[in-house]
Amino acid sequence: MLKQRLAKWLGWGRRSGQTLVCALLVVAMAGFMGCAKKQVPVSGTAAAVPGGGGIQQGAGSGMTEEQLGEQALMDKLGLHSEAERQAFMKQAQTFKNDDIHFDYDSYVLNAEAKGILDQKAVFVRKYPAVQVSIEGHCDERGTSEYNLALGERRAKSAWQYLVNSGIDGKILDAVSYGEERPLASGRDEASFARNRRAHFDLIY
Amino acid sequence: MTRKVPSFWILLLVLVGVSLWASPLRAQRVYIDINQPSFEQMPVAIPEFKRQNEQQPRYAGELSGMLGNALDSSGIFRILDPRGFLGDPQGIGVELNTIRFDDWRRLGADFLVRGQYRVEGDQLALEMRLFDAVAGRTVVGKLYTGSQGERRRMIQRFADEILFAITGERGNFGTRIAFVQQQGKDREIYLVDFDGSNPVPLTQDHGINLSPAWHPSGNKIVYVGFQGRHTKLFAIDVGSGSRRVLAEYPGLNAAAAWRPGHGELAATLSMGGNPDIYLLNESGGVVRQLTKGWSIEVSPCWSPDGNRLAYVSSETGNPQVYVLEVAGGSSRRITFQGTYNTDPAWSPKGDFIAYTGQAHGAFQIFVIRPDGSGNRQLTSGAGNNESPTWSPDGRLIAFSSDREGSRAIWVTVVNGQGLRRLTHLGGEQRMPDWSPRTTEK
Repeated sequence: MLKQRLAKWLGWGRRSGQTLVCALLVVAMAGFMGCAKKQVPVSGTAAAVPGGGGIQQGAGSGMTEEQLGEQALMDKLGLHSEAERQAFMKQAQTFKNDDIHFDYDSYVLNAEAKGILDQKAVFVRKYPAVQVSIEGHCDERGTSEYNLALGERRAKSAWQYLVNSGIDGKILDAVSYGEERPLASGRDEASFARNRRAHFDLIY
Repeated sequence: MTRKVPSFWILLLVLVGVSLWASPLRAQRVYIDINQPSFEQMPVAIPEFKRQNEQQPRYAGELSGMLGNALDSSGIFRILDPRGFLGDPQGIGVELNTIRFDDWRRLGADFLVRGQYRVEGDQLALEMRLFDAVAGRTVVGKLYTGSQGERRRMIQRFADEILFAITGERGNFGTRIAFVQQQGKDREIYLVDFDGSNPVPLTQDHGINLSPAWHPSGNKIVYVGFQGRHTKLFAIDVGSGSRRVLAEYPGLNAAAAWRPGHGELAATLSMGGNPDIYLLNESGGVVRQLTKGWSIEVSPCWSPDGNRLAYVSSETGNPQVYVLEVAGGSSRRITFQGTYNTDPAWSPKGDFIAYTGQAHGAFQIFVIRPDGSGNRQLTSGAGNNESPTWSPDGRLIAFSSDREGSRAIWVTVVNGQGLRRLTHLGGEQRMPDWSPRTTEK
């Protein structure tokens, strides 16, 4: 869904003939999509859309309704100029790129994690119309069932911290992927440490 | 996917299982007690079966090999290499008074199986006898007749007869193991026969599907499936592959276990704020909450009578195994060694709980009594060993291990002997759950 939204957005930029902005968006998108691609869960149904399919659809014709939809999204996010849109894109990318990390078998937030969460709170306060998915992850050690629960506790720790910071809990969704979506595939402590994380995604 | 059960019932009707000899020995002698740590696998010789006519000569080696594999999978026997046998197997007799037991004893065999067969048209007549080579006696003998396509079933039935004669209990023949097949990002539920043959997918949706658990009927499986970002519990019919959503509560819908004899199941839900174990009815409705903690409560597993529940709680700060008396509500911790003990699996007889524990940095399978006594490490050596599940006869434990690199399903006898690899697929195999005995028995 995120990919399609962004693809529509990209299409809207092209049609407006704002070449420079479009190019910037493409650059931003490259980073954006690269990140999104790693994180978008595989659909639980047989009708899963292959990665990248959304871009082709979005770049096609018949965009009028979608343009209106995107304009509504801009309005919803409070973005009234291209500069504001760019600023949002940049901050959204940072928001999604910065994971928080945990110790082994722990869902306690350390000082670094709290610092990152403070930044996320600033972003969400600035753009209160976003929906945030907090995804808890674990390294592969330990059993899958326990890790599924541990991942949820990690996501909930972040959720609670943000709510305590004054963020409306309704716009935050805490989910867990347990040990099923590692970032790093190695079986060394550095890889394990990267995988013990909560990742933040934006749903428009 | 077609159901296998009905065809076997036809086989049962067609198949004439004639007990050729009464075996009073059975009552007199309990050959082995596999619960004794001192138990050692019993060496058995299975020379090529004897042809009674010229049809299907290849069956001579195929059938004896098949029986060897079946007995090997029980973990109780050590199959002697036929290359060490003396003489032409076609020239050796199949009846008690024609066998020179001294020769077989010298080869190290405690037991000997002799078989002979005759093929006429599609019909196969297969006669097999198990001899006690030490005592020089017949233990059990059977004659099976049926179509040639039913020969694997005949072999498994006789292997079952052998196990019954030797241990007083039936084996695991005809049972299956459900597991998670991991290939890239896909995690699908698969089934494999008890002996590692016939791996087949049960789900094929390229999603994340985890924690398969058999219904006591052996007809369906509950598992955890992701839809989008969220987990749901699904019940899938093993025969037809049709499935339905069993639970989709807010938050986590994780690892479930059917309650034997009660038409209920326990599942991990986090709708109350953190992962706790709930009792659900067969439609997925909440009967009541079983654990109430501020910590993680997961991995429910029932005692065979359905009165007690083993589960994992992190209330001490790290995961440990607990046992809950469901009626009274009292719960007690049973694992105290180490700081990471999870995945309890109650034995079919109720006498032990197997679990995954961390020892010296690696994960190993342990066995403990439900009262917390008699803790014993079952696996050791290279790699991590996780997610134990008991065979229905209680003699074997299947688990996932990465001792040869990628995770695969392995099987060991409960005393730690007879370790063997069950799956040889690409990708990784995890979270095995052994089916109950099917209606075939």
